[in-house]
Amino acid sequence: MTTFRHLTWMLIAAVGLVFSTSQSQAQKRPDADEPGLVADDSYELDPQFRKQVVYYRTSEAPGTIIVVTAERHLYLVQGNGRAIRYGIGVGREGFTWQGLVNITRKAEWPDWTPPPEMIARQPYLPRFMAGGPGNPLGARAMYLGTTVYRIHGTNRPDTIGTAVSSGCFRLVNADVADLYERVPVGTKVIIRQKPEL
Amino acid sequence: MLRTFTGGLLIGLAVAIAVAAAAITYERYDTKTLKRTVKRGEVLCGVNAGLPGFSIPDDKGNWTGFDVDFCRAVAAAIFDDPKKAKFIALDANERFRELQNRKVDILSRNTTWSMSRETNYDLYFPAVAYYDGEGFMVPASRKIDSALDLNGSKICVQEATTTKLNVADYFKANNMKYEEMKFNKLDDVVKAYNEGKCDTFTADVSQLYALRLNLAKPNDHIILPDVISKEPLAPVVRQRDDDWMMIVKWTLYAMINAEELGITSKNIDEALKSKKPDVMRLVGTEGNYGEVVGLPKDWAARIIRHVGNYGEMYDRNVGAESKLQIPRGLNQLWSAGGIQYAPPIR
Repeated sequence: MTTFRHLTWMLIAAVGLVFSTSQSQAQKRPDADEPGLVADDSYELDPQFRKQVVYYRTSEAPGTIIVVTAERHLYLVQGNGRAIRYGIGVGREGFTWQGLVNITRKAEWPDWTPPPEMIARQPYLPRFMAGGPGNPLGARAMYLGTTVYRIHGTNRPDTIGTAVSSGCFRLVNADVADLYERVPVGTKVIIRQKPEL
Repeated sequence: MLRTFTGGLLIGLAVAIAVAAAAITYERYDTKTLKRTVKRGEVLCGVNAGLPGFSIPDDKGNWTGFDVDFCRAVAAAIFDDPKKAKFIALDANERFRELQNRKVDILSRNTTWSMSRETNYDLYFPAVAYYDGEGFMVPASRKIDSALDLNGSKICVQEATTTKLNVADYFKANNMKYEEMKFNKLDDVVKAYNEGKCDTFTADVSQLYALRLNLAKPNDHIILPDVISKEPLAPVVRQRDDDWMMIVKWTLYAMINAEELGITSKNIDEALKSKKPDVMRLVGTEGNYGEVVGLPKDWAARIIRHVGNYGEMYDRNVGAESKLQIPRGLNQLWSAGGIQYAPPIR
């Protein structure tokens, strides 16, 4: 039964892959919440979204994560006026939020159970998808507070720098794995949005 | 008779002295820059003859760059037209004299603000447009991300420069050793580094990013985030013309405040409908902050519409959307990791 279920989802993943590939021809920025697989190394990130150490002045303690959605950057504060900066993909308009949360759980190659509100918006999504390449959550996930939001990897590195997710923050798999090693459960995560007019 | 003659002589002398004094005062202190600029119909901007990212003309004579955009922003505030700015290339040697001689209204020419420049030349640097400073380039393969990891490095430096002295100070202050390889020309410094003769080389950060473009494999090199000296680049105006100085100063501050408030050239129309008090004061839908310095109500809205906010100006010319790809670093807003900070408009 489980095998059969897995097969079904693999089939859906395959269809999703074909679908998203054909979609990406017509529309450059496809929906990021669909199954499919684009390997990290097949896509070259824009220089501003590649992982790098930058000057960053802040009163937040080293080890704090600061997500700046308008910039599409995630900073891991290092102290001494610097931070490691990663490129991210962020939530679509209408799925933006701001505040302070903590990392409550970490998982490698997480399974994906789209929450009911996502299913309601995108009924074509699978109800469950086992972790692995092709899963939109990618290689790692860090769960934010008690929310349905996460910092996670991706099967679509071409969506880094864009606003396409359902409110989560996505990094390329190599970056999310790097971040995962550096932050423990309990890490403070500050999310900043651009000001409203 | 003699008394009348002496009296006449004295009066004549007094008049002569008064005229001469007036002439000298006129020579030294100009208070009519805005009036002349408006009459002329364009702002005269002294710029660098060719510095990628900051000011450079194309083959049709169209100027682009960070310093160029800033001058266009001043033109936009006054004329509602960023094209009403004329660019005059000035040498480093002649720039201050030409500003004093009124050949230009404003110097927007990657010029470091220092006390002696301000006092010796009777000039005024209204506000820091770009925080530059000395940094280091290293091969990415060295896998270091701090200048404090440079202990024991072989450093290529240019003879008789402040950069060389700064390196000496920095290494001494941090108990680090290094070996110097000296060259007379910056080109030779870069060449030696490119050929792997030294582990790192140093120059102002904005320069390092420009020089990196010319290396054999630009992506194999990184510029460390550390800045070890202060090179605040600022526009320059003549002293004693306070209204003009205010216009230049608040043009920059309007752009920085606009970025902080999230107002861009793309959403300026939406911003004009905003009911947020600080947005309303900036775009001129509340109060009349430009009037005091001879500008209209919507002066800042004009700047944002035509040139954009500070971040847009930065990204387009030297940042993420440019060839140079210089991270915001110190020039990020104070609230977002940098030190760019503008007093509020209220």
